Amino acid sequence: MRCLFCGADFLKPLTFQTVFVLDDTPSFCDTCRGRLAAIAPDACCRCCGRDLSLLESTAVKHHICQDCIWWKHSGRNGLYGTNNALFSYNPLIKEMITRFKFRGDTALAAGFACDLRCAFHRIVKKGSTWRQRLFMTDSSQFVIIPIPVSAHRLRERGFNQAEVLAELIGPPIVQGLVREKHEMKQSKKNRRQRLASRESPFQLNKECIHLLENKKILLIDDIYTTGVTMRLAAHTLIPAHPLSVDSLTLIHG
Amino acid sequence: MPMLLLSRKSVPTPNDFTEVQHALHGREFRAEELPFPEKRLKEYVNAGYVSVRHGIIPLNENIFDLLTGKKKWLCVRCGNREQESFAVCSCARCGSKCVYCRHCLTMGIVRACTKLVTWCGPVPELRLPEDVLIGRPLCHWKGSLSSDQQKAAEALLQALEARESFLIWAVAGAGKTEIIYSALEQQLKKGHRVVLATPRTDVVRELLPRIRAAFPDIPVSGLYAGSKETIPDAPLVISTAHQLIRSANRFDCVFIDEVDAFPYHFDAMLDYAVRKAAKPNAPFIFLTATPPDILKNAYLSGKLRGVMLARRYHGYPLPVPRFQWIGNGAHAACKGWLPYPLSLWLRERITQKRQAFIFVPSIALVHELTELLQRSGYTRIAGVHADDPHRHEKLADFREGRLAALVTTTILERGVTVPGVEVAVFGADDRVFDDRALVQISGRVGRSGDCPRGDVVFFHNGKTLAMIRARRQIEQMNRAGGFK
Repeated sequence: MRCLFCGADFLKPLTFQTVFVLDDTPSFCDTCRGRLAAIAPDACCRCCGRDLSLLESTAVKHHICQDCIWWKHSGRNGLYGTNNALFSYNPLIKEMITRFKFRGDTALAAGFACDLRCAFHRIVKKGSTWRQRLFMTDSSQFVIIPIPVSAHRLRERGFNQAEVLAELIGPPIVQGLVREKHEMKQSKKNRRQRLASRESPFQLNKECIHLLENKKILLIDDIYTTGVTMRLAAHTLIPAHPLSVDSLTLIHG
Repeated sequence: MPMLLLSRKSVPTPNDFTEVQHALHGREFRAEELPFPEKRLKEYVNAGYVSVRHGIIPLNENIFDLLTGKKKWLCVRCGNREQESFAVCSCARCGSKCVYCRHCLTMGIVRACTKLVTWCGPVPELRLPEDVLIGRPLCHWKGSLSSDQQKAAEALLQALEARESFLIWAVAGAGKTEIIYSALEQQLKKGHRVVLATPRTDVVRELLPRIRAAFPDIPVSGLYAGSKETIPDAPLVISTAHQLIRSANRFDCVFIDEVDAFPYHFDAMLDYAVRKAAKPNAPFIFLTATPPDILKNAYLSGKLRGVMLARRYHGYPLPVPRFQWIGNGAHAACKGWLPYPLSLWLRERITQKRQAFIFVPSIALVHELTELLQRSGYTRIAGVHADDPHRHEKLADFREGRLAALVTTTILERGVTVPGVEVAVFGADDRVFDDRALVQISGRVGRSGDCPRGDVVFFHNGKTLAMIRARRQIEQMNRAGGFK
């Protein structure tokens, strides 16, 4: 197999699955995998999903990091619940995200499909009872909404990176939000500028409101940095009366 | 209505014509990265000055593809036809699934709906300094050519008069660069755009000051990744092959140094890039010590003009490598044992006050061996490899004699001249060292007239065909040069 990122040839380990199941989904080689900083689900912040082992112990209280405590006190959380992240920000993932998002190499995202699906199942499992799980009625409660980009950005980039990630997880994807205003890139702003933005850049998609009522919503994005975007999106979703709003991002950084 | 018609048929005025001409000539842009609005493009396309083509085209080479209906693609910009490096994405611009090339992503994505724009109108005049037009000599190189070099230079000039391609097959250290000076001068005087393409950044960096010193009146542009020495529309460009991907239909004459070097050899994309950068019918001049089979056969059968230089410019024979068995050196180094023959060899070099290159097959081994040697008491030793951020500093230290030995991967196998150096290849039986690489490595030794001899030793764990071929080739060249 060819590694999606570095292009090196590698062999998948011999297991029953790799021998008997014809599987040619592209993936990363072991060297690239090893250089990614995966976040263990039991060692992360309960609210924002950041890897707590990277923080000093003084900055953490009851498995919650200081930033999330600040958010709690700010009263801007609203409906927004928790974030789940897969990887911590490091030089390799930075390079990957540049190639994926800014250079347009959408094929790279397919390498994360497995991780994203696993994370989605974990989230579904966490929020459901055994009875729901047994009769498989629970996943229908979840609705996936990719964070939208503006029409201008879409034309410039050619694709919406959150949508690409959402498609890897699969249905039920709903374009519940639209972004009409064209703004400066979040990645070009500093932390204070980001936290200062209170006005939501999103609008509810009127055609989809009925699909969101009494559903658990999972927002998908590529990166969670300060959490402002997620909270503004959750705020915008209030009129649709969802049960809860959580999010899943590829990176926490 | 007449107004409308008029405005549509309006021919671009000469004023903005030159601006667009200079922006587009010799280069290929994606429509979205044009330095002027896309609307204006249409006028030029209608006037026939600008050509537009699709970035990725379907490639159906044989009847099987037609029968099976399997789609194959070709990236027009980088020439990639390896189907594994194409991917499909949903594209918001054209609103459907779009194929894109993953091979040349770093230069901006090329999708199936991307349009590549290039200038096909009249070629802009080269803006040369006054002196050139008066007819003063351009080449200020003061050295003199040996009789062999002189003959080669004359043959090259004749071939260029006839606009034919030419092969300079010269042993390492024959003075290839000096041979082409007169040809460069002739081409520049004719007002041609000339490129000297080489495979590696290091070679560009070494050539650039030499060429600038030889042609002080001519703007010389140096193109490599991270270069700060680019001059727009310079008549003489020294470039890595990679950087030529953006060029199209630009150069009247192409010199390719070290045709057979590693990236070319493996990457058809670079070959495509160089061919695309040249104008149709532009002559190619290949310079190499170890021509690849295609060129060699073409030359020997007389299809390609060329000249063979079997003697170095100082008239001494090439040093012939000797083989020495050392066992599994890589394994020993990993275990922390310094193989005795290597240690002995290195100690001899140090007592004789000769500097040494030690070539190893992998980056990991560079680290291992450097550390091992430093621990064994050899202090003035450093290791370099392609990913080393300090490699230029270390090489400069070595040139100035502050380092006694340099452990290196094959990156230093060509284009590097350090007088009086001797060479060991540690683990010469590795696959990385093919016969061409070994010939090139042996060619590092005895390049200067002051110390034309030196030791080349291949430490191996069993002779390989490549090693034997390399030695045979060197001996053949020496015989052709009239030694023994």
